Amino acid sequence: MHEFFEHTADLGLRVMAPDLNQLFAEAATGLVGMIVENLNVVQLSRTVEIRIAGTDLEYLLFDWLNEVLSKFECEHLVLADFQVKVTDEGLTATCRGEPLDRERHQLGHEVKAITYHGLTVEQTADGWLAEVIVDI
Amino acid sequence: MPKPGFHGPLIRVNECCWRIPKSYKPGMRVDGLIYSSEEMIQQLVADQAPEQVANVAFLPGIQHASLAMPDLHWGYGFSIGGVCATDPSDGGVISPGGVGYDINCGVRLVRSNLFFKDVEPHRKRLVDQLFRDVPTGVGRGGKFKFTPKELRRLMVEGPRFLLGRGLAVERDIEYTEAEGCLEGADPDNVSDRAVERGKDQCGTLGSGNHFMEVQVVDDVFDEDAAGVMGLQKDMICVMIHSGSRGLGYQVCDDALLMLRGVPERYGIELPDRQLACAPVHSTEGQHYLGAMRAAANYAWCNRQLLMWQAREVFASVFDRTWQELQMDLIYDVAHNIAKFEEHAIGDTGEIKKVWVHRKGATRAFPPGHPEIPPLYRGIGQPVLIPGDMGRASWVLVGQAGSMEQTFGTTCHGAGRAMSRTAAVKHAQGRRIDHELAARGVIARSQSWKGLAEEQPAAYKDVDLVVEVVHRAGLSKKVARMRPIGVIKG
Repeated sequence: MHEFFEHTADLGLRVMAPDLNQLFAEAATGLVGMIVENLNVVQLSRTVEIRIAGTDLEYLLFDWLNEVLSKFECEHLVLADFQVKVTDEGLTATCRGEPLDRERHQLGHEVKAITYHGLTVEQTADGWLAEVIVDI
Repeated sequence: MPKPGFHGPLIRVNECCWRIPKSYKPGMRVDGLIYSSEEMIQQLVADQAPEQVANVAFLPGIQHASLAMPDLHWGYGFSIGGVCATDPSDGGVISPGGVGYDINCGVRLVRSNLFFKDVEPHRKRLVDQLFRDVPTGVGRGGKFKFTPKELRRLMVEGPRFLLGRGLAVERDIEYTEAEGCLEGADPDNVSDRAVERGKDQCGTLGSGNHFMEVQVVDDVFDEDAAGVMGLQKDMICVMIHSGSRGLGYQVCDDALLMLRGVPERYGIELPDRQLACAPVHSTEGQHYLGAMRAAANYAWCNRQLLMWQAREVFASVFDRTWQELQMDLIYDVAHNIAKFEEHAIGDTGEIKKVWVHRKGATRAFPPGHPEIPPLYRGIGQPVLIPGDMGRASWVLVGQAGSMEQTFGTTCHGAGRAMSRTAAVKHAQGRRIDHELAARGVIARSQSWKGLAEEQPAAYKDVDLVVEVVHRAGLSKKVARMRPIGVIKG
């Protein structure tokens, strides 16, 4: 699950999941959900593979979200379904979605960037918790 | 998660200024100084903004103090409303966080020879046509297309490049801070991804707090200065607030990636990763500066093209050319930028060239400063302070106090009082556009949420912010501007 938390000028995203794979998938869903508010209407007609190398979990989350943001910003691709596998070397992900359609997609925030401020990925008693603040 | 407040020392220096002594945390090289008022300082300690002012004082080469303007609020790394100057000859650093993601976010103000009574009968049509013709909102491209080669020239030359395309006139360049061009821009340092994000966004407003407003001069406080700028009571103006769009965001992001592990390599200890920096003279520092300047020049072109589109809409609605409507640019200021400037430092008044980081802060050079256009040299540099869309914005001029106290800097806006999530909660069940209409403002936005987050109550009262910088002698009130039409993302 994910929720948004308060940060004065920007928006915080808090994600909880039983394992890292779901944590990263849920974080991406939360991010795209800031940009497109009705993710439920997004058709899964396009598939893209994303691969990121890295061992530091916080940087890995940062780079992952950045890549997903870039798919929207540069290719106008709205991704809504993420199958993520976090490994010792980084992550691989199969992402599905469709090109931006202004008629059907209800646009919310313009996300300028993922920030390092308060970026955390940590294990909890129930699984994993991540927090990230995005610049709006 | 409870919202952490600031519990450190805040010592009152005078009516307008509070000090966080450098003894507060080991690692602070200078004091923190916060410009505020009795009324607003109470709000400030509710979050981490003062802590961030203290953290900036860690930066190598920082001079005088880590400064904060009265519109200070919690950012990431640097607070918004923060100012710091670093001396390259004293190991000084350049920090992308001290500029922000939206490189050269800024404001421009255009006058006209129309008055409220002339515009009132056409107001709805005017605002609707602005909303239709000026691209706003997420992922919207603009009508101006540039080839990769043209985009490179645009990033090197700024709005001067647009002269040749018939999208700017010489006067527009003259009345833009730095004439819209930071020398030393290096498009080779701007990544393909940044170019990709920005290639069709030059001339688009974006979303968040960016806006284009039709304003009326509500009150004049300094007749002489207003006269020099061509402003009179009840006159119609257009204010534009936007920055470097996706291109600038990506330049900042790329720089932060490049700087991973770099502060450690130079032996720089930082309390927050978002303060990442590199010595000005380092390869990394120079790389960022080349890219930052390119993004800044792009941003000036963006505001130029936004203004151009506003002129076209006015010309169409009022059936006269923009020249006949005398829609001249009064001035354009950057409020997220780093500039290399000469300042007198400390008690000795030694003149040094320093990198002034303005993160949500505006240059406010006083009368006589050689870097302001001759027309304004007698009154000081115009400073444009956007407020919220229900109350007011301000036109100020720089004062001598800014050179003495804040590296020639003043505030940049109202500053948020409410987080975005809190503002949305506060707006549940309300029609912000109807409320604004009742206050005499026609507001058009791509989304309900956009208006909810930017509702007047989400901001501090800009009048209070301006009062502080006026009293502190950083800048002087010239005119208060009242919005009558606003378009947003």
